[in-house]
Amino acid sequence: MADETTTTTEISGDDGALPGRPPFAPWDRRDLPGSFDVAETARRVGNYKWTEMKLFEALGGWVATVPELDIKMRLGTHCYHHAWHAELWHKRLPELREMKPERLTVPANDAMAEFITAMTEPEDAHLTIEKLVGVYRVLIPRFVAAYTYHMNNTSEITDAPTIRSLKFALQDEFDDWRDGELMLQSLITTPDHVARAAAHQSKLEAIMVRAGGITGPGSIG
Amino acid sequence: MRQFFPVEDLARDDRFVQTNMAKRLADTRSAVDVKKSKSKSRSASNRLTPERHDASDAARSLMHGIMVGEIQALEGAGRTAHDFEAGDGSGDTIPFELKLDMARQAWDEARHVEISAKLSDWMGTEIGQFQENTVLFEAACSNDPVLRLAGVNRALEGLAIDVFTQMKEFGQLAGDPFLEFCEDWMLADEVTHVKMGSDWLRKVTEKDPERRKKALEFQQVVDKLFSFGGARGESDESPIGLARRFRELAGFTDDEVDTISQMDHDALEERKAAVRLAQEAAGV
Repeated sequence: MADETTTTTEISGDDGALPGRPPFAPWDRRDLPGSFDVAETARRVGNYKWTEMKLFEALGGWVATVPELDIKMRLGTHCYHHAWHAELWHKRLPELREMKPERLTVPANDAMAEFITAMTEPEDAHLTIEKLVGVYRVLIPRFVAAYTYHMNNTSEITDAPTIRSLKFALQDEFDDWRDGELMLQSLITTPDHVARAAAHQSKLEAIMVRAGGITGPGSIG
Repeated sequence: MRQFFPVEDLARDDRFVQTNMAKRLADTRSAVDVKKSKSKSRSASNRLTPERHDASDAARSLMHGIMVGEIQALEGAGRTAHDFEAGDGSGDTIPFELKLDMARQAWDEARHVEISAKLSDWMGTEIGQFQENTVLFEAACSNDPVLRLAGVNRALEGLAIDVFTQMKEFGQLAGDPFLEFCEDWMLADEVTHVKMGSDWLRKVTEKDPERRKKALEFQQVVDKLFSFGGARGESDESPIGLARRFRELAGFTDDEVDTISQMDHDALEERKAAVRLAQEAAGV
């Protein structure tokens, strides 16, 4: 057993102070550089908030229009997930020097606004496939892509709060994407269903390509 | 998608059979026994307890009613999150944070549908075995979001507090910890929803007393409608009690609860008179 006095001396040094450690431990490889400055980050976050809002509004509105009970409940659950993401982005904007969050709560461009209009167009009770395709095969994969690109390219030190929110949001996006795909696969059971799903996805994807993604051209670099 | 969605277009699968309040109250198979004496003895009580000879059917019917009510509450909250733009609360807008609360409520109601569907199954009921009264969604169809808060969050979710308190007690008395456990959780959510309604109603109408007055009047109309002809009230003749303590937690004042109690009493008397007349006409 070591002598108590000797052990204390080894840790403390001559003047009793603890020995210095580097600010970054050997296992901490985070780096300063990032692709986005504060203004660009705020612009992207404003686009995220706008799109998450449109998504939770659409999911909430569709609940009453969908006859399938299990899907009705899932849409209600996912509605809150996206509302919470919108709230995260709403709270992040003032931290990015935007004191009027509404100013940046906008679509990336006209094509993005057009996309949301086209995605939310189906209302009839027989159009559940079209409703789900728009959300789970077009928009949510775009969220996964845009959030992942942002997370992997922003400064891991200066923009840590955005990264934290991106991680929470991405976890929901992955879970909801899987739920949506399961619902779609259970509904698409005939060649006619396949054609409907593909046609609607193609129509929406074309608008999204024109938009360039959720934050416009450069959404994924 | 339309901005406002009419009750007659609510999407359902082929198991559901819908009805409205007028048809339901005209049903002579009333839960209120108009011939019952005014005795205060336990056997004279209409409260939903396991001792009632029809307890099993009444509990199953009530649970099915809860399930379809939760479906409509989910739909109503979803529509309010959708139907109004984010703004300062004037005109056709609602505050952003209120939209978020409505989305949160949609999730809560979705869980309540899940819970009540499982409980219905547990109690041996099939979906669609009882009719669905669509009056709840009707209250969620107003073009004024403040009326929706008054009608749905305060009146209707207030009724849910009463119903869940009664069902929790029923589970306790019947020795069904599964039912008691679930009702306790749903009750916590409902208190949150009513408080949400109380807080937002006050906030949004802070500078508009006329709008607040109109909303509270609408709430009274819905409260009376949702007393189901006195099926909810402080009298022992009402199957469902009035949960004063939980209503207080949810932001109701004593005066407001007293008013609801009086309204329930009046509704019970009116219904008894109507049922008596219908039974006499039918020679019952």
